[in-house]
Amino acid sequence: MLAYIIRRLAYSVVVLFLSTVLVFVLVAESGDPLAILRSNPHVSHATIAVREKLLHLNLPLWDRYWYWFSHAIRGDFGQTIAYQPVGQQLWQHFGVTLRMVILATLIATVAGIGMGVFAALRNGRVGDRASMTLNFLFLSIPTFVIGLLLKEFVAIPLNQHVNRIVFYTSGEQSPTLTGGFFSRLPDYAAHTALPVITLVLITYSAWAIYQRSATLDAIDSDFVRLARAKGISPGRVLTRHVVRNALIPVTTVIALDFAGVLGGAIVTEQVFNWQGMGTWFIQGVSTLDINIVLAYLLITAVFVIGFNLLADILYAVLDPRIRYD
Amino acid sequence: MARIRRPFRIGAALLVIGLAAAACGSSSTKSSSTSTTSGSTTAVKKGGNLTFALDENLVGFNVNTSAANEYVLQEILDQVWPQSFLINASATPYLNTELLQSASETSTSPQTIVYKLNPKAKWSDGQPIDAWDFWYNWQAQSGASNVTDIDGKPFDDASTTGYNQIKSITAADPASGSCAPSTAIKGIPTTIACGNGDTITVTFSTPFADWRSLFGDLVPAHEVAAGTSWNSGFNDPTKVLSGSWYEISKYTENQSLVLTRNPQYWGTPGNLDTITFQIFNGDTQAAPALQNGEVQLISPLQTDLSIVQQVKQIPAITTKIYGGLEFQHIDFNQSDPYLALLPVRQAIALGTDRKQIVQRTVGEFDPSIVPLGNHMLVPGQPGYQDNGTAYESVDVTKAKSLLESAGMTMASDGYFQPKTGPQAGKDLTFTIKSTSGNSLRANIEQLFQADMKAIGINIQIANEPAATLFGTDLPKGQYQLALFAWVSTPFESGNQSIYCSYTNAANCGSNWVHYANPAVDKLLAAGATAASPSAEQSDFQQADVLLWKDMVTLPLFQGVELTAWSNNYANIVPNPSSVGIPWNAQLWGAKAS
Repeated sequence: MLAYIIRRLAYSVVVLFLSTVLVFVLVAESGDPLAILRSNPHVSHATIAVREKLLHLNLPLWDRYWYWFSHAIRGDFGQTIAYQPVGQQLWQHFGVTLRMVILATLIATVAGIGMGVFAALRNGRVGDRASMTLNFLFLSIPTFVIGLLLKEFVAIPLNQHVNRIVFYTSGEQSPTLTGGFFSRLPDYAAHTALPVITLVLITYSAWAIYQRSATLDAIDSDFVRLARAKGISPGRVLTRHVVRNALIPVTTVIALDFAGVLGGAIVTEQVFNWQGMGTWFIQGVSTLDINIVLAYLLITAVFVIGFNLLADILYAVLDPRIRYD
Repeated sequence: MARIRRPFRIGAALLVIGLAAAACGSSSTKSSSTSTTSGSTTAVKKGGNLTFALDENLVGFNVNTSAANEYVLQEILDQVWPQSFLINASATPYLNTELLQSASETSTSPQTIVYKLNPKAKWSDGQPIDAWDFWYNWQAQSGASNVTDIDGKPFDDASTTGYNQIKSITAADPASGSCAPSTAIKGIPTTIACGNGDTITVTFSTPFADWRSLFGDLVPAHEVAAGTSWNSGFNDPTKVLSGSWYEISKYTENQSLVLTRNPQYWGTPGNLDTITFQIFNGDTQAAPALQNGEVQLISPLQTDLSIVQQVKQIPAITTKIYGGLEFQHIDFNQSDPYLALLPVRQAIALGTDRKQIVQRTVGEFDPSIVPLGNHMLVPGQPGYQDNGTAYESVDVTKAKSLLESAGMTMASDGYFQPKTGPQAGKDLTFTIKSTSGNSLRANIEQLFQADMKAIGINIQIANEPAATLFGTDLPKGQYQLALFAWVSTPFESGNQSIYCSYTNAANCGSNWVHYANPAVDKLLAAGATAASPSAEQSDFQQADVLLWKDMVTLPLFQGVELTAWSNNYANIVPNPSSVGIPWNAQLWGAKAS
């Protein structure tokens, strides 16, 4: 197992390096970050020359890459095109995304697995059909529609009805918030509720469908029939034999999805005005800010690779038949 | 719109000032009443908070740098950094009488301006606002190669206009030594004779009609001397000292910024305890937040029909829709062999139904907008005149006859075909480029395409991302027709680089249409160095007449802006100029009744 992990990590470093080269070239060649400035008739050529020098745009492409790379391996991700430290922004945006995503993933995991097992146990009956209809409904509605519906038909009418703000529709917290963590908690909750509900609805449904399918497969398997024949109680068969085996494929899906949304739940962040990784990435791409895009790429790639590895390890833990020798 | 109006803050301020001064016809500015210049003054309660939705992130805090020269930052700094002149809702500048007792032009040759500072004026750390600040702000924005930022790097300036014409700054009352700070500012000569007193004399090497535009957003010199860099030191907002009504008390990056009353402010304090700026990812989320009571004031960067309809459904708010300084126009690249022909450009202009374009775009929510008749100014700005009356109505017959006079013949498919050149024997076809993803411009292009078909010109649409259009295609001349927006420049002198001869690459870098006319050059140069605002305006308007005659670009219409706020608040007066909505935020407050 250890050798496998080391081998995977070594591949990952190569993949990461090649990714940075590719993204650097793509972003650098896709446009000029000073384009808007050049289009401003009030900005002199001298000023533009100054900006080019400060941003190293006057250097050849590979020199620029080497400058970035030699600093990045020391943990210095450089500055944005407005001279702000990228590293500081990265962790700030990552923290915002993490707050939303961890909570949503926990709830969605419980809901997805619970709903999937429930549907499988009620296979073909009303409960199964109702839950599957709901799952496919949430799976098919675009994220922004769910977000807007929650705003328009839940938050605003409720707030107007009670004449105070129960659910906020934008931002991560109130700007004038003060006090300790526990005094801030209600404000955090009022801001976090709608984005988390949106994320839960769009993620749990897919996981529930996977879980239902895996559970049905497990229920029909020989070892479950054997367990029942041996007189093991139905509850024990369900938890020890059915659910545990059915969790294996779902674990992979959840791990990969979680790594994906750590890179930013872009649409949810936009709808609820959260300044997370997704919003930051959009900002970097739209302004052709190469340092932002590269820092984003690195952090998301590290998480995707890390969670892929984690999923593989969990496979082995959940299923003793799997070996990576 | 991709060519957002916001980056042109400085230029806009300059023009507004220049024109308004021309209207006044006075070269001296004395104290004026704040009540008549700062907007309406309904009785309001003292205290409370108002949250204003900003729909762009802040990228820095020194608005005088090109990197942070954002409209949204200017809206914040309106209330934080001291400004010699303020601009009211009529786009008229007025002396900031709480900072300056007077500002007078005492000589025209050489042009000399004497500023008399209020002796009580001080920064929020208690240090006086004095001549040193004026001197440093001049040096940093002079564009001189012998001065650098404290780290030895060149100054990043949003504009050097006007500052680069200053010859010297001296001070008196009392003259307390030279301007050389006790801690030397690296790279800046310390030999300039200058006291730190309250009477500051600025002498220009060449006349600068828009001198009132200078010394806005003063950067505190003593802070720079203590080690804060001009280029990047003010990225930390805790280092932004206040010399005005409010100071920055809290900033959460990309989320919000809170202004609180500046306790060191020497003048009449602001009404609200705090003004909160909440940052949004874009225009679409602010309206629901206004409806939900999370913000009390919104002014989207881009106004379209859906936002107008959304806002109008919100109860208990006041909505204002008004013309802004941005204007859409079509550029003709004269390096193209056919567009180099004046009759072809005139034919296109005559065939373009600008009234219909207006009606089917911004006219849907603002019927007052009309086709634009000026390259320098927009309706509502002092001095605006319609110089484009010859192109007021569509004239298909005349357009076709102009194309025939340019050597084109009508083919059986209804399109003209050139007799010579790269398109000889083919349908006359032009490609129009604009910014992709902009529905307003997409609509305009489709209407334009139909108009051109009617006069026998085939139009193809090929839009690009803004970075490509403005970074490559336009500067390198890789286009035939282009649709985008300029922001009407105040300083009409700011228009010089767009319309002066492209052969002068150093000074006319924004002349992407490859236009050259010595007569226009002469008028633009005369306007830029005019001794008075009225002379400046006269020169630039004469230049505009020539631009219409030569059909350099076809102005379409002025942009529209929207501001909406809760009825619980008073004294909010939208300001279409570059200073934005919070120009009088010190007067804002919750209604008393």
